[in-house]
Amino acid sequence: MGAPLQTSGYQLPVYPFEPPPELRGEPATRYPVVIIGAGLCGLTAACDLASRGVRAVVLDDDDTIGVRGASSRGIVYAQKTLEIMDRLGLYERVREKGVTWSVGKTLAGMEVVYEFDASAQSASRQPPFINLQQFYLEWYLVDRIMEIANTDLRWKNQVVGYEQFADHARIDIETPAGKYSLEADWVLDCSGVNSHVRDTLGLDVRAMRGIDRWCISDVRFKAPLPIERWTWVEAPFNENRAVWQHLMADDVWRLDFQMDPECDLEYVSRLDVAAERVRRQVGPDVEFELVWVGPYSYRSQLLDEFRVGRTFFLGDSAHVMSPFGARGGNSAIQDADNLGWKLALVLAGQAPESLLDTYHHERRPAAQFNIMTTRRTSRFLSPESAQEKLFRDAAISLAREYPFARNLVNTGRLSTAFSYAGSPLCGAGTGLALAPGAAVQNAPITLPDGSKGTLADLFRDGCAFVGVWVGAHALAPAEVIRFANQSAPGLRTVEMDGAHLGLSRIADSEGRLAKCLGWDGSAPVFVLMRPDMHLAAALADPTVAQIRQAYAKARGH
Amino acid sequence: MQTKPNFTDHDAFYEQLLAAHDGLTEAQSAQFNARLILLLANQVGEQQVLAQCIAAARKPLAAPAQGT
Repeated sequence: MGAPLQTSGYQLPVYPFEPPPELRGEPATRYPVVIIGAGLCGLTAACDLASRGVRAVVLDDDDTIGVRGASSRGIVYAQKTLEIMDRLGLYERVREKGVTWSVGKTLAGMEVVYEFDASAQSASRQPPFINLQQFYLEWYLVDRIMEIANTDLRWKNQVVGYEQFADHARIDIETPAGKYSLEADWVLDCSGVNSHVRDTLGLDVRAMRGIDRWCISDVRFKAPLPIERWTWVEAPFNENRAVWQHLMADDVWRLDFQMDPECDLEYVSRLDVAAERVRRQVGPDVEFELVWVGPYSYRSQLLDEFRVGRTFFLGDSAHVMSPFGARGGNSAIQDADNLGWKLALVLAGQAPESLLDTYHHERRPAAQFNIMTTRRTSRFLSPESAQEKLFRDAAISLAREYPFARNLVNTGRLSTAFSYAGSPLCGAGTGLALAPGAAVQNAPITLPDGSKGTLADLFRDGCAFVGVWVGAHALAPAEVIRFANQSAPGLRTVEMDGAHLGLSRIADSEGRLAKCLGWDGSAPVFVLMRPDMHLAAALADPTVAQIRQAYAKARGH
Repeated sequence: MQTKPNFTDHDAFYEQLLAAHDGLTEAQSAQFNARLILLLANQVGEQQVLAQCIAAARKPLAAPAQGT
């Protein structure tokens, strides 16, 4: 890298370094959870744990959000991420600041060959995508974490040593006030692609460096452009290489230019060279200002084990992929979403420690899927042989005429929630079209108190599993109430649509919950959802014993 | 994968396939073949069948020897 980086137009917060208790002469204590890295992944984990009442320590080597100056970095936040941010209580800020969009267009030359509108099929309160510079999301997470006020955020605390033992890990830390060490029961390594912890433990990431070289330019235009995602496979203004064009917050556009694999990255990222490139795209008359310019080389890597002893690897420290389809940031957030509730349950003594292994069982396949998907895009955008170029030309030429070929034009398959089908936590799936393991969309519902809300409102407190009795169950209400009150701590049960068991009622006022669950209205069903809003089990016309069994399984018993 | 005859007129198909290449350069012929493969693949649609067809087409073409 090492190219000139430019920052203008943003004022980022600076968080003060405060000497930690260990350097103020206070006795050392062992912490239940330490999170290394206050990026998107670490902050989501911290916020999630904070919302579940777990007091975590967060270590970050910097004193602000963002890296490499105010680079936009991850900019497309997909629906599952937005739903998680709703559950964590910061979605409204994301919506207000960000740019909601649903139309994507793919161009070859100056002609649109593929177009989609993702808004139609959604049952969620959240839109398919919101674009926002990554540092804003990190900023809102820090604010929310400080609002909940049970997390120990330690800025300018750099991890310089790491060792783990049977029941804890020791972390050596350097700060402006000196060095210290601390012990943790569990460590979440969210420190990114160059993880010190991972390298100290000698874990191989099987890195594969791609040939793709890109130059990213954050640009402010004086005149508005359409709020759509435009991707060129072959842009005439970029030597027939790919170009991305996306609007972010503050009227700043993100332009990604694919470069010659042999290019000099420092040269192509020079401000005057970048400005000339943007000028070729927008023509002579549009005024613009470069906010940030920097090069990227894409690669992929994947750890074999996402849990090693007392250490969990989340986000880029566990898996790295090309940015096509916005899978890096969104998958890091889903990593945190997956591990948070499990760790909280184990720390509270409500689940066996083996539940933590399912983080690996569920999230590594997600990473594998993301790497496969981004490699496919990469191969379409950077044909590696004459034959690959031939088929791409064929696909593009056919796409101009025939709808079927438009699906082959691959400029990135946008991130969707990964389904944990096949996870050891999944129970039976009867009575619903949605399979256990899949994410349940954040449908709008009427809450038990009669107010309008969303499904996420049922999950906000602690580590709630939510069970919904749907349809006319024949069970004795007394038995159901007894189960709800006594046998199933941590399970919040409600009823809707034809169920009359004397529980709190929700109403699927717009029919969107039934739609995303795929309930056809015939058989009564008990719908069991996990604290991360994935479906644990669907039981058609169940007995209480069957529900008890599925609930135990979903918690790793 | 269908391996028994399925053409309604095999000789006509073969003749048309050859005729379509008349007057094309090598590069155009290659482009024609690629377009045709994609068009036909969409007629088949089913990924399992397509995978079997790809494997069958590849089968007699030996993988390059190790180290070359």
